Amino acid sequence: MGFYFFGPLPSRGQKDCSMAVMGKILDENNQPLPGATIVIIQNKTGKVSDVTGTFQFDKLCPGNYTLEIKFLGYITQQVKINTKKQDPVFVNLQPEEKILKEVVVEDKAEQISATSNYGQLSGKELEEVNGKTLGEALRNITGIASIQSGPAIFKPVIHGVHSQRILILNNGIRQEGQQWGAEHAPEIDPFIASNIVVIKDAGAIKYGTDALGGVVIVNPAELPTTPGLGGRFNLIGNSNGWAGITSGMLEGGIKNHHGWGWRLQGTGKKSGDSHASNYNLSNTGFTEMNYSTSIGYHQVSKGFEAFYSHFNTTIGILRGSAVGSAEDLANALERDPPQYTMPFTYAILQPRQEVSHDLFKLNGHLIKGGNRYNFQYGFQYNRREEFDFRKGSLKEVPALGYKLFTHTLDLEWEKTFGKNRVSCRGLNGMMQDNQKIDGTQTIPFIPNFTNYSAGLFWIEKISLAKWELEAGARYDFRFYKVVGFDFSNQIFRSQLNFHNVSGTIGTTYTINEKSSFTSTLGSAWRPPNVAELYSLGTHQSAAAIEFGLLLDETTNQVNDISTTNFKIEQALKWVNSYRFQNNRWSGEISGYMNYIFNYIYLKPRGVTQNLRGIFPYFRYTQTDASFLGGDLSLVYQLSKHFKINSKVSLLQARDETLSDYLIFIPSNRYELSLRYDQPAMNALKNFFLEARVKYVAHQSRAPRVVTVREINDAKAQGVDLFATDNRNFDFVAAPAGYGLISLSAGISKPIKKSMIDVRISVDNLTNVAYREYTNRMRYYANDLGRNISLALKYSF
Amino acid sequence: MKKPSWLFMATLVISSLALLISCKKKDPVPENIPELITRATITFTPSGGSSGSSVVVTATDPDNIGAQDIKVDGPINLTKGTTYTLTIQLVNGLYKPTDSGYNVSKQVEAEGDAHQFFFSWNTGLFSNPLGDGNIDNRNDPVNYGASVDKNGRPVGLITMWTTASTPSSGSNSFRVLLKHQPGIKSNASTSADGESDFDLTFMINVN
Repeated sequence: MGFYFFGPLPSRGQKDCSMAVMGKILDENNQPLPGATIVIIQNKTGKVSDVTGTFQFDKLCPGNYTLEIKFLGYITQQVKINTKKQDPVFVNLQPEEKILKEVVVEDKAEQISATSNYGQLSGKELEEVNGKTLGEALRNITGIASIQSGPAIFKPVIHGVHSQRILILNNGIRQEGQQWGAEHAPEIDPFIASNIVVIKDAGAIKYGTDALGGVVIVNPAELPTTPGLGGRFNLIGNSNGWAGITSGMLEGGIKNHHGWGWRLQGTGKKSGDSHASNYNLSNTGFTEMNYSTSIGYHQVSKGFEAFYSHFNTTIGILRGSAVGSAEDLANALERDPPQYTMPFTYAILQPRQEVSHDLFKLNGHLIKGGNRYNFQYGFQYNRREEFDFRKGSLKEVPALGYKLFTHTLDLEWEKTFGKNRVSCRGLNGMMQDNQKIDGTQTIPFIPNFTNYSAGLFWIEKISLAKWELEAGARYDFRFYKVVGFDFSNQIFRSQLNFHNVSGTIGTTYTINEKSSFTSTLGSAWRPPNVAELYSLGTHQSAAAIEFGLLLDETTNQVNDISTTNFKIEQALKWVNSYRFQNNRWSGEISGYMNYIFNYIYLKPRGVTQNLRGIFPYFRYTQTDASFLGGDLSLVYQLSKHFKINSKVSLLQARDETLSDYLIFIPSNRYELSLRYDQPAMNALKNFFLEARVKYVAHQSRAPRVVTVREINDAKAQGVDLFATDNRNFDFVAAPAGYGLISLSAGISKPIKKSMIDVRISVDNLTNVAYREYTNRMRYYANDLGRNISLALKYSF
Repeated sequence: MKKPSWLFMATLVISSLALLISCKKKDPVPENIPELITRATITFTPSGGSSGSSVVVTATDPDNIGAQDIKVDGPINLTKGTTYTLTIQLVNGLYKPTDSGYNVSKQVEAEGDAHQFFFSWNTGLFSNPLGDGNIDNRNDPVNYGASVDKNGRPVGLITMWTTASTPSSGSNSFRVLLKHQPGIKSNASTSADGESDFDLTFMINVN
């Protein structure tokens, strides 16, 4: 969404104390630094920079002041200001161990309200997860977990909810892929990002429906505006999977054309089979090939940018997890190592996914007389093919294939009234078309559809001395036109309409210069995904059949939605955070409650027999669900060089209607690390050594266990185990808790204006054999064994 | 600056709308569904000097992948002390009988080196083979005869059975299991290897 409006705010006179000073705190890479404290020495008033690094002091008497800016791990700076001066204050904080790099880059973070509860990865933290997928990288933020399918598929989970319940913004554009599948990961290369923010509130109003759990925002750095060439090159090797990852970026401005900038970026990954602690995980290799390019023109008052990115991946799914029937499933669940375990290879056979995603985006802004106009158009083309084990000539034919085309248009008008009120209004439109890829020779799992959606929003923000207040509302509608095939391969058609309102209210109270409190209450809804309504069949070699909400329970015919008791899913989420920072301690504690009405989930419903054997089947069903949890993140600076960091994520989720537990809810997790930093050692810099212990508890709040053998035996005797007891269940018990130790170390060598960084890390140091409850591979195999990773980075 | 930018936006909206509407909109093409088995017929034909009429039992799936169970038109009623040839026919009813996709057993035969039928039954029903079948133990006897793949390993589309002259009475069953074992079918592969293509337990009486 472009950048922020800076500048002196209108002041009425010279004598009265109504002057304002606004500015922005940036790190050494010109990325915004949220949470820095800014204190005016003269009158001891303090502010904390918000997510965009922005701060503002109001009601200052004219004159000279000194600002003191502090942020843990960075050198404290003092800046002299004069209220008469017309410019906003930009402050680049230097890390305690790093020298200033002379790159002039304007900031470009998605503008997030100061009243949000959020977490983020940027700077060093983001660098340390380089090479990981988006979902895996996000797990470093407290409260964020993932639903995983093997070593390469991670779907982010915010406070226990995932898939269609969180919104992902890729460079400002709402990511639209086949998000309905638990094994469909977001199609985004994290190397494009200079900062990734997760808003943990419901209904971050600006971005549209679906944000019941929160929003993930992937922000690339702002394009350069001054001439010169910059770039970086990353090379990463992993011992587990013998993976190689390379990524490069080149950017620059254009001589004699101040304001123009461009960037080229690309990433390649190749991994063979990953390895559990004591056996190979056959067919878990993956490849990825991504690139992006952008060009833009930026001034404070106007600017535009064109961006194109391509993402392409092939991901193998554990061979031993491909099963044909409940009998096969029972066998597979009892084997260790899994069936078809072969020696290491880079080859990726069936089952596998081939996914590509193209994004083209145009955006611009214009600022005129206290008004800011933003526009943004995006086109996305998502293509997904899933290959399963099939006979003869069908071997190389995907069993599932879809093309999804999405156009989005976002218009926004922001007006500043006086010095403490900002009003933002906008509209979002989306047109989407989903088509099956012909020739799969299977009954399509989801139908073809066209989707027209639009929304309107209005947000008001008011800043008072110690209070920031924000309230917003939006209205959305969605229209689906669906054409698909039923179980007998006969065509069916439906048209569906959904509309509803969302609202949010939030406040941040600055208690003093060292602490603040944020509370946000949001209500959000989402239109049902077509997959939830019409799913039919099995996919990706799973021994379970899935039926959509609108399929008749006995005849299997597609029902009209008006004849069913479908209700729109709606969430009410309340998040409270307390942030603080003093000499040695800094941290954040937050607690949340998310109650989701008419929560749609796949519920095990029974066993059906066809000629391939007997199969458990699942039906999309609605219930009321609650998610209650807390996140804690604490940093304690032991001494100049030593630092202790701890993170805790707690969550309990319930099916309120059935008084039962929900499946695949992340268990409680705890992390503790000790880090040693040595900023300068002769010609070398930034040496660090870090040891980390992570403990993931056993999920004791898991649904009951009904084994496949029990299901099969009951079926053989003509008993339906689920006829009277409709509680949720799982095929195997939740795995035991586990602890993992990791070590990492790094050092940098500056060479003139460039820098070489070397990092080595070891994950799962003791090669523990463990299974993670939220990894779907846990049914069949152990999780990853030890991995040694070497990363090199050259930047200039 | 303001006007051109709004104009630009309007152009964008209209052009993208036009783009979407212009690719309107034929119905999707139905797929052929070759991998389904909607009907299985097992036929016990008296052979090897035995006389009598053939015993035919058919299992049909009314809704393919739907939640309804399959229907079987009765138990297998065999005569004691008789030798039979069992042939298994698998059919995909979404095809016309003239289509090549109709006859699934033909495809199994063509890919014999990746398929094997396994059987189990109650001990005492047959005098040849003896025992209770090879689902629990692959080396237990089943008369695959000439029904073998190109590697000489059993397939089992056609098998030989001789009922006992004093068969066990009571409720007996006969299970037919077809396993797809691509790349793993061997002289040691068992009924637990690979994926099930067909798995059905029939009621059986030998009188």
